[in-house]
Amino acid sequence: MSFPDLLRTAFSNLRRRKLRNSLTILAVVIGAGLVSLLVSLGIGVQGFLSDQVRSILPSDVVMVASNPDVFQIGLGGLGFAGKPQQISGNQTGSSTLQPLSLQEIQEVQGLKHVEQVDPFIILQADSVRLQGSQQRFRTDNRPQPEYQVKMVNLVAGKYITDQTHGECIIANQYLDVFGFTSPQEALGKEVIIQVTQAASLIGLPADTKEYSFTIVGVTEKTLSSTEIIVSLTDGEEMSRFWANTPDLYTNKIPAAILQVRVDGSQYADQVASEVKDLGLGEITSSDVLGIIGTIFGIVQAILSAFGLIALGVASLSIVNTLIMSVYERTREIGVMKAVGASKGTIRILFTAEGAAIGFLGGAIGVAIAYVLGFVIDRVSRATFLKDFQTFNISVFPWWLIVGVIALTTIIAVLASLYPAHRAAGLDPIESLRYE
Amino acid sequence: MGEETINALAGINLEIGQGEFVSIVGPSGSGKSTLLNIIGGLDSPTKGNIIVDGQDLSKASDSELSSYRNKKIGFVFQTFNLQPTYNALENVALPLVFARVPFGKRSQIAKEALETVGLGDRVRHKPSELSGGERQRVGIARALVNNPKILLADEPTGNLDSKARERIMELLAELNKERGLTLLLVTHDLESAKSADRMLHMRDGQITESAERK
Repeated sequence: MSFPDLLRTAFSNLRRRKLRNSLTILAVVIGAGLVSLLVSLGIGVQGFLSDQVRSILPSDVVMVASNPDVFQIGLGGLGFAGKPQQISGNQTGSSTLQPLSLQEIQEVQGLKHVEQVDPFIILQADSVRLQGSQQRFRTDNRPQPEYQVKMVNLVAGKYITDQTHGECIIANQYLDVFGFTSPQEALGKEVIIQVTQAASLIGLPADTKEYSFTIVGVTEKTLSSTEIIVSLTDGEEMSRFWANTPDLYTNKIPAAILQVRVDGSQYADQVASEVKDLGLGEITSSDVLGIIGTIFGIVQAILSAFGLIALGVASLSIVNTLIMSVYERTREIGVMKAVGASKGTIRILFTAEGAAIGFLGGAIGVAIAYVLGFVIDRVSRATFLKDFQTFNISVFPWWLIVGVIALTTIIAVLASLYPAHRAAGLDPIESLRYE
Repeated sequence: MGEETINALAGINLEIGQGEFVSIVGPSGSGKSTLLNIIGGLDSPTKGNIIVDGQDLSKASDSELSSYRNKKIGFVFQTFNLQPTYNALENVALPLVFARVPFGKRSQIAKEALETVGLGDRVRHKPSELSGGERQRVGIARALVNNPKILLADEPTGNLDSKARERIMELLAELNKERGLTLLLVTHDLESAKSADRMLHMRDGQITESAERK
């Protein structure tokens, strides 16, 4: 029997018992739909979170700290429920930082694939306000190296460079609170960022200072809704005031954390492990994404289990349907054998029928899930995800579509093995006499 | 208590020449059908040999036997055994599916076979839309479609009225004479049996009498 004939026969046999086969296919549809929808939502949310992580920690960046313990993530690191963590070497604590030595910085700079080393500037601004207005708003002031600034998508204006002075890029969400109706309107306006010295965090007397910036760019909407990006030059100046340490980021008092860019994201982990060998702390975006991926993997596996249970039940239904079919068609099987069908042909014919049920169920299930995902996507963007128009909550990569259909087809083929074996083993003479 | 072995056929030594028309008569359970099924490759003898066209069927594998049934044998059944959901053409074309004849070519060959049995105008009819005689003609067309050497007919007229019976017998005799098809006919109908070149009587799995036509 040729392959096209096999397909033709399998699908036309499905049409013969429409209701029964439709119900069996429906069972597969439910399972396939559940699995694919849940996985697609997982991919969507994970992708969104991963994008956010990459915007804060690009994939070609290794963060380096003087304390090897400081970036350790995990229950122990959080001091929650895990084993108390041992403090490395001569460190003062797991979250304290000493400035790096010049020698350590030189060692990092000398590593292979290291392209650029910048201090990671720590500072906490109090508020931001529009020039001429007294309404003040929360802000996360983030001085960033030029290459990282350029990774953010702007809806208006231009990027800033490392040497830029007195210019900033504001988060999209500020447009609304500042009362701008369009991003273009914000360009050229002045904002005042207020910084109070770090001593105030523990209630000690501290000075306050205002820094003025011209808005030159507006970002697209991201989760970083209070972000105001300034250049490294301006950031260093503000940070020195905030820390009350005029020599910070100079050779006298170097940075405690470095942002190291490598010449290709594929080298990030390699450089990170060399940094670790130097006795320093390190973290890369793949570390963070790995944790997110693990969490999502677990959540998806649990959710998919429901779909897999549905598919398991569906496979029983396939076995049942095909056994019924073998009974009903016993005589037909006898005739087919009499006119030249071998055992193998009969076996493959029933297996193909099972496969057809699995394939159709999988394809319809994925299609329904795709439509549902699209609806969920639209509804969520119209409601609670209104601010994130680029966020696709339901994502259907090709491998998910192919994978689910392949999965249901394989399950169906396995389910049809026994009925097919039974059909193949029927005695042709008995079958021809069967009433 | 135990399983008792019953010999459906015992000590049969039979030779049938190419193009011969042999009829087999005998009471129910005498082994007529078993003999036919063994010759047709649907059943295998527990002992002994069966050689058709130089091929020893008793030593053949399942796929060899199915190919043999497909290419060399045409079965005609008492109950027609047509597929009710298929039309006449599709029923006749079934053996061609297993012979891996391409789709387009199949309908052409099947149509020719239907024309041979005089049903050229009934190709799209379902079995339920045909008379008993016509159904058996479809059954015969299906048996012919792969150009077999041997036609095995097990009570082909058993379910037909006398008029249809005559015409089916005429058709079978014609196929035997004009196409040189070897025809084995199992029947209860002595009248039909007598038209054969040779008539075999069977009882208890043995051939008790063999009569040549004068």
